[in-house]
Formats: sequence, C-alpha cells, structure tokens
Amino acid sequence: MTQDITVTLTVNGRTVTRAAGAHLSLLRWLRDVADVTDPKYGCGEGVCGACTVLVDGEPVSSCIVLAAQVDAAEVTTVAGLAGADGVLDGLQQAFLEHGAAQCGFCTPGMLMAATELVSRGVRLDRDTIRGELHGNLCRCTGYQAIVDAIASVAGGERG
Amino acid sequence: MFVKPFRYERASSVTEACALLREYDGEAKVIAGGQSLLPMINLGLVDPSAVVDISRIAGLDGVAERNGSLDVGALTRHRALEGDALVARHQPLLAEAVRSVGNTRVRNRGTLGGSLAHGDPAAELPLAMTVLEAEYEVSNGNATRTIAAGEFPLTYFTTQLAEDELLTGVRVPKLPAGWGWGFHEVSRRPGDFAVVAAAAVVRCRGGAIEDARVGLAGVSERPVRLTSVEAALAGVPVSQIEDVVGEVDAIEPITDTMASAGYRRRLARVLARRVLADACQRSEGAD
Amino acid sequence: MSADEIRTSKAEELRVVNRPLARHDAAEKIAGTTRYAADLALGGMLHARLVRSQVPSARLVRRDVSRALEVPGVVAVLVGEDVPHNEVWVDVPGQTTEVVALKASMQVLATERVRFHGEPIALVVTETEDSLAAACEAVDVEYDLLPGVFEPEDGLREGAPAVHDQGNLLAEWNIDRGDVDAAFARADVVVEGEYATQFVDHAYLEPEAGVAWMDDDGVLNIRVATQVVEHYRDVARILGVPDSKVRVIAPYVGGGFGGKEDMTVEPYLALAVAHTRRPVRMTWTRNESLLARAKRHRTKMRYRTAASRDGTILGQDVEITSDAGAYAYLSALVLLYSSVHACGPYRVDNVRVRSKTVYTNNPPTSAFRGFGGMQVVLGYESQMDELARELGLDPAEVRKRNSLRRGDVLPVGQPIETEVLLAETIDAVIERAGDKPVPRGPRRAVGRAIASNMQSYGRLVWLNDSAAAWVGFQLDGSLTVRCGVPDIGGGQASSLAQIASEILGVDMDDISVHFGDSALTPLAGTTTATRQLLMSGNAVYEAATMLRNQILGAVAAERDQPVGSFEMAPGEIAGVDQNVPLKQALMICRRRNVPIEALGTFYGPKGREVGRELHAERIFPDFTFGTHLVDLEIDLDTGQVRLLRYVASHDVGRAINPMIVEGQIAGGAVQGIGQALLEEVVMQEGVNMTGGFFQYLIPTAADVPDIESVIVESGEGLGPFGARGVGEPPIGPPAAAVAAAICDAVGARPTTLPITPERVPDCIDRGRSREGGTAA
Ligand code: FES
Ligand code: FES
Repeated sequence: MTQDITVTLTVNGRTVTRAAGAHLSLLRWLRDVADVTDPKYGCGEGVCGACTVLVDGEPVSSCIVLAAQVDAAEVTTVAGLAGADGVLDGLQQAFLEHGAAQCGFCTPGMLMAATELVSRGVRLDRDTIRGELHGNLCRCTGYQAIVDAIASVAGGERG
Repeated sequence: MFVKPFRYERASSVTEACALLREYDGEAKVIAGGQSLLPMINLGLVDPSAVVDISRIAGLDGVAERNGSLDVGALTRHRALEGDALVARHQPLLAEAVRSVGNTRVRNRGTLGGSLAHGDPAAELPLAMTVLEAEYEVSNGNATRTIAAGEFPLTYFTTQLAEDELLTGVRVPKLPAGWGWGFHEVSRRPGDFAVVAAAAVVRCRGGAIEDARVGLAGVSERPVRLTSVEAALAGVPVSQIEDVVGEVDAIEPITDTMASAGYRRRLARVLARRVLADACQRSEGAD
Repeated sequence: MSADEIRTSKAEELRVVNRPLARHDAAEKIAGTTRYAADLALGGMLHARLVRSQVPSARLVRRDVSRALEVPGVVAVLVGEDVPHNEVWVDVPGQTTEVVALKASMQVLATERVRFHGEPIALVVTETEDSLAAACEAVDVEYDLLPGVFEPEDGLREGAPAVHDQGNLLAEWNIDRGDVDAAFARADVVVEGEYATQFVDHAYLEPEAGVAWMDDDGVLNIRVATQVVEHYRDVARILGVPDSKVRVIAPYVGGGFGGKEDMTVEPYLALAVAHTRRPVRMTWTRNESLLARAKRHRTKMRYRTAASRDGTILGQDVEITSDAGAYAYLSALVLLYSSVHACGPYRVDNVRVRSKTVYTNNPPTSAFRGFGGMQVVLGYESQMDELARELGLDPAEVRKRNSLRRGDVLPVGQPIETEVLLAETIDAVIERAGDKPVPRGPRRAVGRAIASNMQSYGRLVWLNDSAAAWVGFQLDGSLTVRCGVPDIGGGQASSLAQIASEILGVDMDDISVHFGDSALTPLAGTTTATRQLLMSGNAVYEAATMLRNQILGAVAAERDQPVGSFEMAPGEIAGVDQNVPLKQALMICRRRNVPIEALGTFYGPKGREVGRELHAERIFPDFTFGTHLVDLEIDLDTGQVRLLRYVASHDVGRAINPMIVEGQIAGGAVQGIGQALLEEVVMQEGVNMTGGFFQYLIPTAADVPDIESVIVESGEGLGPFGARGVGEPPIGPPAAAVAAAICDAVGARPTTLPITPERVPDCIDRGRSREGGTAA
C-alpha cells in the first residue's frame, strides 16, 4: 500500500523531480532518493539538528518534515554553501580555521543553522549565539570552537 | 526512522480535510507543521494509514484584531506569533510563551493549532490559552462549534476534538488595560518540554490584587487553573503573595525521566509565586 | 584560533608540530562531502534490522519467523540457529575461576534466554527500508518472563536470580598496600563518603551504521563506524571463515567515545551478506542506540580517608561496586581502571581497594571515555574537599601537598616515571579565573571549586600493544601515509600527517593519510584508551624517521659527504653548501636501490599480566594530569544550576596541534558537565525509559559557558615530541568540580549523579542544618 508521489525540489540550485514514497521525510527523500547525503540522521525526533536544511531560507529539521509537504520548495544543504568552484563560504572558512568540526557529523546541520543565524544580519554576542544554537547538538567540540567560528563572522570575538 | 508507509493527502479546504478524515475513519492523522506528529511516527508511537496535510489551506493563518480580541488562525506558525506586532502589543504573555516552545526549527514549522490539538499537558501554548480564557473555533466541515480553552484538553494527549474535526482558529481576548502578566517555566534544557510552566494575569491597584488568574502546566493530565488560589488572592497585598500561595493542591503531578512528582510540586509553588509577582509588578507599572 | 593559553617547559624548535593548523580532514567535513558509514549506497543493496527483546529477563518460548517471511519485500529472517558460531567471547583477565569463568560469552542472536531490554533475537533483511518495520513486527516472539536483577547489591544476595549460570559476580579486584588500619589509627582526621554515578550513554551524533558486501574473491567487506577495525577476526570467527576472508574498513566516524569499541552492526551485516550474497546496509535508530549499545557503568563508591592535621593523606579505604549489565563486555577491565585510579593523582602509602562488578538485567556496560578512571574522580576529589573542609585548609593546598611526584609509587605498585605538573595545572586554572563572581540577585548563591584528576593513556601493558604505519614518498614529492588507525573525530589521521610533515618537510596539503582498513593499511590497533597518539603517532614518527634517514643517507652517499651534513626541508634536502631538490633526491634513491618508503612499528611498554590481587611494577604506560575550575550559580528556589565560568588545564606533554588539544579539552569537559548535571540512562526494572533524544539529555550550547583551556606542556609524555594522550582525561574532573562548587555555594555536597535540579534543594537544606549545627 505504498503510495508513490512526485515531488519536485530545487536542491542547491539543481531541480530534482522524483516519484517516491509519500511517507518519506525530507531527510530520507534527500538521502535515499536524491543521493544528497550531507544532511545526517541523528535522532529522527527533531532534537539533534544533524538533519537541518534550509527550506525556502528557513532552517527545518528535515527528519520531521515530509518531502511531499514541501513540494516545489527551494532546499539548501551544506553542500550548497560553497561556491561552484568549491571555495568555502565565509562561515565555512571560519569553521575550518577554528577547528569547529571534529567528527563532523553535526557540522552539516550546525552550519545550516548558523547560516540562517548569520543571515539575519545582526551582531551576535556569544550568549545569543549559544541561545540560538540550542537546537543543534554536538557531542565532540563542547561548542567552544563552533561559537568561536560564528562569533568571528557575526560579531563578538572571544574576549 | 524505519516507518511503516502511509498515504499522504493534501486538503485544500477545511471541508475537504474533514471529509478525508471521515473517509479514513480514524486511521488518518492531521498534519500541519508536523513537529509533534512526525517525531511520534518516527518513534513508532503512532502509525496512521494516512496523513491529511492541512498546511496549505488558505485563510487559516495570521493574526487579526477584532473587537476586544485577537483572532489567530490555527496555521499560524510559532515563529510568526513570536514576531507579531499585535500579539506583542495586546497579549505579550502569548508572545513570551511561544518563545519558550522548542527550538528555532520547531518554531519555524510548528503551528498554533497543532500545538493545541496535540494535547501535551506540559506544553506552553495550551497553558497560556487557558489562563487567557481563549476560545477555540472547531469545525467538522459542515458545522462549527466554539470550545473554551480550559475545557478543550481532556487528558494526556487527548482533547475534545472529534476524529473528523479540525481546530481552525483561536480567539484570544486582549489583555485589558491595567492588567499585568507573568510567564515562567523550568525545563531541563532550553527548548525542552517544560517540567512545569506557569502563567498569570493580574489586576492590581494600590499594592493589592483585585483580580488574578493563574495556571500551571506539567503538573496534571492537562493545564490547570488554580481557582482556589485565585479566589484567595482577591484583595491580598502584593507583598503577601508568598503566604497565600502555599502548597499548591488540586494538582496531580507524575514522576517521569525529567522530574519527580515531588519536584514538580515544589516548582508549582515557586513558579506560581513568580508569575504572580511579575504580573503584579507589570500591572502596577501599567497604571 | 590558538589555544587560550599555553605554558611550555622544554621548548623545541618545531616547524609544523605544535601549531594550530586546520585539520586535513576538516575541509571535506565542512563542505559536506565526507561519506560516513551510513552515506554509502551500493547497487542492489538490501537493508537489515534487528528484532530486539521487549523485556529484560525471559526465556524465549517461541521465535516464529514464518509470518515475517511473507511480508512483501522480505528476503531473509535469521535467528540464532542460522549463525555458524553464535557466540562472542570476551576475555575476563586476571580472575580466578572461583570468581567467574575466564571467558564470558554472549550470543549474536539470542536463542533461549534474553537478559536485557533490547537484546537482539532475530535479523530481518529486506529489499527496501520501507518493509523493515512491518517485517520486524511480524516476527513472533513469545517470552516466559523470569525474575531479574536490577541492582548489583541485590545480585550478590543469597538466592538472587542468576543472570548467568556461573553466578552474578563477574569480576573483582583488590589492592592492598601498606597498613591501612594502622594509618587510620594514627590519623588526626578521618573523612568518609558514599558516591554514586549513573548509567551514561555515549550519545555521539552518528548512530551505529555500516554497509557490507562480498568481493569477487570471496572477502567479506564491512565498511562500518567503528573504533576497532581488528574486529574482523571476531566476525570471521562468528562466520567460521579464515580471518583473511573478512575486511573491516572504518571511514571517518561520527564520534566514538568508547561506544564503537565493541562490535555493533558488524556481525549482523556479515550474517546478512553471507546469507544473501548481496550488499546490505544497517543503520541503528537513535532508539536502538540508546536501548542496546553498552553504557557507562553505574558505580557506587565508599571512601574513607585518613589524614594528618597538615592535610597529608595517610591512608585510604575504597569500595567500588559497578553494574556490569547483562553481559561481560569490558566490565572487568573498566573496573580494573577504577581500582587502579581509585586514589587519584595523590600519593597514598596505605591503601585498601575492594572492587566488584556484578551482572544485572540492565543494558550491558563497557568502554566509555575515561574507562572507569572517570567515575572515581567524584570519589577521591570529594574526599579531598571534605578533608580540606574538616581541617580548615585551602582545597588547592591540600591537593598540591599530596600531589604525586616523579618517583612516587602508585598503590598498585607502579612508580611514576615522568614529571607531574599537577600543581601547575591547579595554579593555572586559579590564576586564569581571577575573582569569584557574586550572585546576580537575591535567592541565588554562587560557588567555585576545582577538581583534579589523573588518567592513564595507552593500553594495559600486558596486552602487548603495537601499532604499525607505512610512510612513502610519491615520485612527485607528495607523501602517502598508511596506518590502520580509525579516525573517530579526534583528528587521529590529521595528527599523523602533522607528525610526518614535521619530520619529512612535506606540506600538510601534499600528504594523504589512508587509515582504518584492516586489509590495506598496517594494523595500528584500536582507537581507544587514549592510545593512538602514543602508538600510531610513534609508529609514524618511527617510519618517517627511517624514511628520512634512508633519503639523507642516499643523498649523502651520492654527494660523497657525511650524512650529518644534510637535513629535510620543505621541497628539498638542505645541505651544508648545496641543496638538493626533493624530486632529485628521490631519483637518487631509486637509482641507488634505496626505498622511498618505510614501515615503522611501535611497541608499547610491556609488563606481566596481573591477577585478582592487583600488584604490578607497571600497569599502564603513563598518565595525564589536569585540573578544572568551575564557577556556578544556584537558584535557591528551583535548584537550577547555571555554570558561569569554566577553566580547564591539562599537562598534555606537548600539543602536537594545540587546536586539536583545545577541542579535546572543551569536548571532554562538556561531556563531563553533561554527566554532572543532565544525563542519565533511566532504567525501571530493567526497562529503558530514555529511548530517545527527547529523554536522554546531552548539553546544548546554551547549557554551558565558554570552556577556557590552559595547556601545560611538560614535554614529558611518552608520545612523539613528548606528547601525552589527551582524549580521555578532560572528562574526569567536571562532575567532581560541579559537585564541589555546589557544596561551596550552599554548604553541602551532592553525592549522586546526575545533579538534577531536584537534587539541589536537599543540599541546600543539609547545608543549612550544618550551618545551624556549627552555630549551635
Ligand atoms: S535527525 Fe533530525 S533532528 Fe535529529
Ligand atoms: S563535531 Fe562531532 S558531533 Fe559535532
């Protein structure tokens, strides 16, 4: 009784149309149907944030959104941040320089959350960054280097 | 993550959505933002044969001012509520409560109606609505009815909604002039479900309480108004709130992995006092 | 960003090592192109999932798979009888048979008896992931419930239900040094306390996952998130095939912390592939990971400490009981670590340690960052503070007074051979922290405390640890490193590149590290026990040094000059009067039959195996010492604790890459803070109540302050360039520091972890009555 449903998404600028299970989360649709594997499965509960992608510019937990629900949307994953030439964007570069990726498993989601945060265009102090990021878990870095990296782009350097 | 396949139906009107729900005869679940439903599906706690997506039904979102109230569409997202100018001006308690919901991603997708219909006894918005004495508009596609916020939740994750009904909108009275409000919650981590949340609106004059409404979430099978405390507070000097709000009875907290019943009782008392104190201060300030 | 602060003694001229370089694996991770275990999909790939026990203790009356086989898309459903050798052996070293059989076993798929909630019973293999849920549900399992053991103490009682036939006591260790009773008899002061730690989950962000397939030549390949590629041998044993027919590949792993040290998905993938001859993927859900993968040991500790008036410790008497869960795994060794580390970084001449680990029907417990050396920090550090309090002395002074020094002998009998800079780390955090903050409002209290620890690095010496690495130049002058080390996120591979770069003068960008492949990279052992920098680091150091000597020798011979007149420099061989471009030097080697590659093997320090009565001249290679300081504020009404400031300092010997070291310190500290305040795998009569990330609470960015690190470099470690291991040590002090700071704030000490807000009011009340008592 699997129902296939055709969904078209613009993923990192590329239009992808696929018929697949209507029950598929956006995360599974991206990973298993469209072979976009950079968003990660960490919990499926909307808690960890490893699956964070931008849907029409807004961060969502792709594990708890159905692909069918966001048909026709524009989806950006971390693989869409770098330029066509593969050059990392400013935030990615900051993550690199500050050592904000250890195992790197939270990184795809963390960077998307941070991208939206920084895109708000306001100066962010470290406490604000911490408060805004509480939905993205990292088990390796203690958040230190992540906050450092975001602060270096969006304001408040470490005192 | 390995869910049993289900069908997806997109409704373009309330009538269609309710017809679909009837067609599936209790086997379908309504989905809007999906922020409560999909985690439960992924965890295998529910496995519907279909979901009926109401998120694209026109006209069910946004905040409008009508007489002494705000009409809030059921599909209004938390993020929109959080930033809404009318809400900020006329019902700041609601704005504060919604800020405590989940994380950024949950607030982006999650809807007011979804949160209220989910019936989580620890959730912030049903508590706020109970204390603010809001009314819910409910439809089965043919007829509508109005239900008082305080009567809408029945028990854990169960509300008065019939299987073929949708919550379509909420009427929230504006905070009248001279009233103050308070909202506090304790959660284990920011964004987690509240262990206990408290909300109050109060009118004070000359350092004494004239009228008070106070409620708690996370301490019973549904949000509760502390009616006996409210009655006892009338005429009480603000400085004596602590004495009036002693041991909070009329609650039946449970022990779970977040907290014990005993700790919830402690928080009930502490947070009730805090929201009342804040509300009094704001009320006096508003005079 | 460089580390906050580095305090170095014995500085060395270094070009690449000791610099905060971006890790060579970081760019791909940040670009999102790294392919983790679950990211691989192969043509014709099947999917697998386990049917797990719903109950903690039962006899299996029926396992009927017939309905499951009828579910559309199901390819196979396997039960224990389908497993060629349905047994995983674990060595329980050093124990006599009166305690327990020397080997303990667990079935790959349970056939007759289940012992914990989540234990695997059947393996379902399907064409698509969509059939997995229905197929698992259709496997009919009937249980005959048996009484269970849920508390170690209960398990030791006469007539307790037997978790295993041979009895519930899995292992015990004793340490006896000096005359404890005499020490207590002559003490000016005796303090005592009981402390309890909880079950903790590793909660790495990447759940257990892997993909396996059969090669054309009949080799089973398993690409899996693991800390140990050497499990290929265990898989071969289960399948009943030669070791050479199984290959395990570890791609970059999304966090390990000990949780991917034991096998997870490997045997099941192997069975599914062996049975279907098709590629198979298995990903555990977060729920499965939380239910079934081994946890950190819940531990109860009883400490008594005797001291003289000036704070000198005279003796210590320690009892430790840990919950081994349903199967042995590494519980005996974890308990051994607890026992050896029981007195912490202090000189104690009269010691009695009695430790036991007991089977229960709780989830199995095994390796977790700190490996038993971590739980006891709460015990010995709480005792140090109680001692200071009792004697009216400064806690920092009491620690410094008793600090181990080079030449001191540990209770187990091992002398400390390297310089101990514990006192420097204490001074460092206190200086850095400055003044204690004041409460931000009424009904709030602030507290400050420090906690120190020691943690071994490198494996137990009788395990004959070794690691090999191959380093070879390409003809264009770029460099290839091959080393079997799994990289679990700690920069293991990158550090190897940095070491090779230092010695051979090759740019980091021109080095490729191939790692974690049991067939194609020289075996380097497990990424556990904070051993990789020591072992693989030294192996690469050795291989690179050999290679350098080969090249310098060839060039010197060619130019007819003494070897000492040349050295490796970036892109060239620098000579006294003439430089030789690297490419030319490599051609010289080729012409002269000098290899431009080298295989280095490093052997760890050796020692003999211990018995149940622990005594050894050497038990671990060496130790890392450190101190953390925390400032916190307590809401006196709700009991909520907010950390205001956190400073951590460790003597890391030499920071190969200060950025990596700082990352390990911050990450370990926050994981420790999680154990202090938030985390607990909650078991109710053997049923796991924390099966999701909604319930299992790890710290978010908003729960912790900045972790300021002060790196102390003694240059005294056994690793390359004098480095000590730093992977595990930082998780030790946080819980003890937080507990002590709460005591500082309210006057009484929390002794049970996690210190949830509801445990704090009790401390406040006890603190008040203690004050009242003193006043009266
Ligand atoms: S996988 Fe989506 S939030 Fe964890
Ligand atoms: S870097 Fe490993 S989870 Fe964040």
